Formats: sequence, C-alpha cells, structure tokens
Amino acid sequence: MSTQLVQAVWGGILFGSVYGLMALGLTLVWGAVRLLNLAHGAIFVVGSYIAYFVVSRLNLPILVALPIGVLGAAAFAYLMHLIFIRPVIGKPGFDNSTLIATVGISIAVSAAAILIFNPEYKVIPPVIGGNFTVSNVQITKQGLLVIASSLALFGLVYLFLTYTRLGMAIRAVSQQQEAASLMSIPVVRTYGMVIAISGALAGLAGVLLSPFFFLNPNSGFNPMIQALIVTIFGGLGSVRGALVAGFVLGIFESFVEVYYGVAWAQPGVFLLIILMLILRPNGLFGIGEVRRL
Amino acid sequence: MLEVKGLVAGYGGGEVLHGIDLAVDEGEGVVVLGPNGHGKTTLLRAITGLLPPRAGHVLLDGKEITRWRADAIAAAGLVHIPQGDLLFPEMTVTENLLMGAYHRPTWSERRARLGRVYELFPWLEERGGQLSRTLSGGERRMLALGRGLMSKARLLLIDEPSLGLAPLTTQQIYASIQKVKDGGMSLLIADENANHVAGLADRVYLLETGSLVREGPAGELLRDKALLESYLG
Repeated sequence: MSTQLVQAVWGGILFGSVYGLMALGLTLVWGAVRLLNLAHGAIFVVGSYIAYFVVSRLNLPILVALPIGVLGAAAFAYLMHLIFIRPVIGKPGFDNSTLIATVGISIAVSAAAILIFNPEYKVIPPVIGGNFTVSNVQITKQGLLVIASSLALFGLVYLFLTYTRLGMAIRAVSQQQEAASLMSIPVVRTYGMVIAISGALAGLAGVLLSPFFFLNPNSGFNPMIQALIVTIFGGLGSVRGALVAGFVLGIFESFVEVYYGVAWAQPGVFLLIILMLILRPNGLFGIGEVRRL
Repeated sequence: MLEVKGLVAGYGGGEVLHGIDLAVDEGEGVVVLGPNGHGKTTLLRAITGLLPPRAGHVLLDGKEITRWRADAIAAAGLVHIPQGDLLFPEMTVTENLLMGAYHRPTWSERRARLGRVYELFPWLEERGGQLSRTLSGGERRMLALGRGLMSKARLLLIDEPSLGLAPLTTQQIYASIQKVKDGGMSLLIADENANHVAGLADRVYLLETGSLVREGPAGELLRDKALLESYLG
C-alpha cells in the first residue's frame, strides 16, 4: 500500500472518531434538551486543564488525571445547567438566552484559563505512549486508544439509551416531554443528567486529544466547530448520524488533505456540507422537528 | 381520596375554570360531563400539575398536592391519560408501556404489570416491536390506556376516551375501562357523551363554561334526558 493511502485512511479514522466523540455530546444535548451548547468546547478545555493540573502540579499519573478530568468536566457542565439553563427552561426566549449564556461561558473559561495557567501551550502526556509504522506512516498507540474509546462510547451510549431505565427516560423526554412528566419522569433532572453526560464526553475528548494538539485556552474551539458541522451533517439529535457523519467527514477531510493539500481540507468539507444540505436539509439521518433521539 | 376545592385555572389572560369543587372516593367512578371547550381538559391538567392552578386546592388523601410538579403527582398515584394520547412516537409499543412503569417501585414489578395489560389488550404483546407512530387511532388510545395502567395508579384521570374514534373502537375502549374499574381502580373521566359513560359512572358532574353546575348520582342524572339535552345539546 502506498504511504499516501495509509496516511489518508489513518488520519481519516482518527479525525473521524474525534469528531464523532465531540459530536456525540452535542447531539445528545440537542436531542433531549433542544439546547445548542456552544460551551461544549469550553467544557473540553475545562476537562483538559483539570487533567493537566493533576499531572503537572500534583504529579500524579495520567491514568489518575484522566478520570478526574472527565468527572470535572461533567461537574462543570452540570453547574452550567444549574446556573444558566435550568432557570430558563420552559420560558420564552430559551433559545436566545442559552445561546448567549453558552457563548459567554466559553469566553469566561478561556479568560480564566489564561489567568490561572497563562496562555502558553501545555502538554498532557498520552495515556499510552509509543508508536509503530505501517508503510512509513507513524501510528501512535494513543491514536488507537482515541479510536477505540470513541467507538466504545458510541456503543455504550447506544446501549444506555436503548436498554436502561434512565436512558429510555432520556428518549421519552426528548420525544414527548409532557407525557414523560405524566409517567413520573422528572424532566428537568433528566435534562441535567444529559448535560452532565455530554460534559463527561467533552472532557474525555479533551484529555485524550491534548497530547496531539497541545492544550491552550482556546483549544476546544476547533473541535467544537468540527463537531457542530458533523452534528448538522449527521442530523441534529441523531446518535447514529453523529457516528456516521464523523467518519464520513473525517475520512473525506483526510483524503483531501493528503491528495490535494492542507489548504483544501476546510473548503472541501464546507463544500460537502453545502451539497449535503441541498440534498438532505435535515442531515444524513435527518430527524427534522418530529423525530428525535 | 381526591378532593378539589375552589380550583381556578386558565391560560394567559383568560380564566377557564372559575372555582371547581369536586371529589372522588376510593374505587369510585366519577364522570365530568360537559360540551367541548368548557374546561374539561383544563380541569384534568390543573389537577395533575401540567397547568399550575391560580387558586384553590388539590388534596390527595387529605394531603395538599396543589403546586407539586406533574411527575411528583404521577408518582403519588394520580395518573393522567391525556387527550391526544401523547405516546412516545419513536419508541416501540413495549417501550411505551415500560415508560409507564418508570417510577422505581413499579419498574421492578414491570413484568407482572405487563402481563395484566396484555390480558386487557393481547395485541400489544404480539406487536410489541412496532413503533408507536405507526399505530392506528384506536390502537394508540389502547396503548395510552395500557401505558397508564403500567404505573402504580390509584386514580386514573382519562380525558375523553373516545375522542376521534370509530363507534366499534369506542365500545372496545369503554369496555376495557369498565374492566379496569371492576378491578377496583378509581376513575375520573372527562367526557361529552352521556351514553358512553353510563356504565362507568357512579357519580356525575356537569361542567358548563368553567363551573360545575350540577352534581349527583349517575343513575339519577344520566336518566334525566331533558337536563342532559339542555347542557350537552
């Protein structure tokens, strides 16, 4: 196999699983709460800095820092729900106020990160070090871990939503909120749970990706934009859509990058999105207004 | 068991219910009769917490539940089967039923409860894997009723059980509700057709423009054709 092909496939699968992992959290929150969470990137950053702090200041191994970062991100997301989302649920202007609040949180988080940690790039060690080469392409073990984690989490989220009492309640709330409350499902508490789960996913993405892209106060922004694109491409609110679209876009971007150059990668992705939205305005697994989760 | 005192409720600037007094005893079948648009749905919504009342009290076994959240009221045993069924469209028949048993103590008894619901509507078992949005109107109503029965209901509040159904299906629905009542369930049914509820009702209230204008034993009120005609047309 040619080096170029291996490079394109490897990069595509790696990008795809990263995009999917970020998009999974976004799409869950959109599907259940109808909240476009523009603080998703900020939550990614919070998880990463917590892990960085545990590793570099407390001198603990990354395997300890990883779960702490994930839980910290979930707690941060839940706090955001308590302070900014819960008070406006069911009120007119929910969309606008939550959009502004989540953008505000993003700005506040990056400013706080600069104040606390200074703007320099930080390094988080990989969970597994080392690499090997296939056709002259370097395959990192951390990359394989990212791919495996992403696929495993999609599987877990799917099983959780399909078979567990709480997961089914999330689907019920997303499909028919009033009936859910008549079935004694606490709707607002369920929202909080979804937001916390989504936060944990963003935090995990942050800790696992920082060894590749380094960590800075704004490093959550690009993954979030990519995840938004993936979510729109796959169909807002669709878990299967996030998985498929993540890989389609990741592999597409990687092939364009390898064969036509980095400069074409972003424009290529946007062209694909525009085409896609003309053909299927609700995305690949478009659920429109009626279908959700 | 359920007591409603001076209940006032409405939407936006409008007041729909102007002080409702009503009671349902253990095992009793109570029917609120009234024409469309006179506040039957609003009454059930105000009792079960979907629409916070503006004034008045709702008491369950003498305990104030007036401003409880809808999910807490449902957990306490007041189970509302709403107008339009409000099924979970992208969930299967079985999943819809299971959501009825969401409350902790019922979740662990869900198998036994499923069995009882299947006895009432055997087709629910055969077609358990079908998405509920693909069901017909009559099937949806039966599923909504079955879902309500999956809960630990002490009182079922049913909003117009026959709304939009064909005559044959209507008969089936009332026959199943009758079976539920014979099993000892307390009922509060909102309806506009006196003939449908004749067998179910122990006591009847007549609702007109947001006020209860008459109350009495079903045998008495439902026989008074002239009275019913003047209210229900």
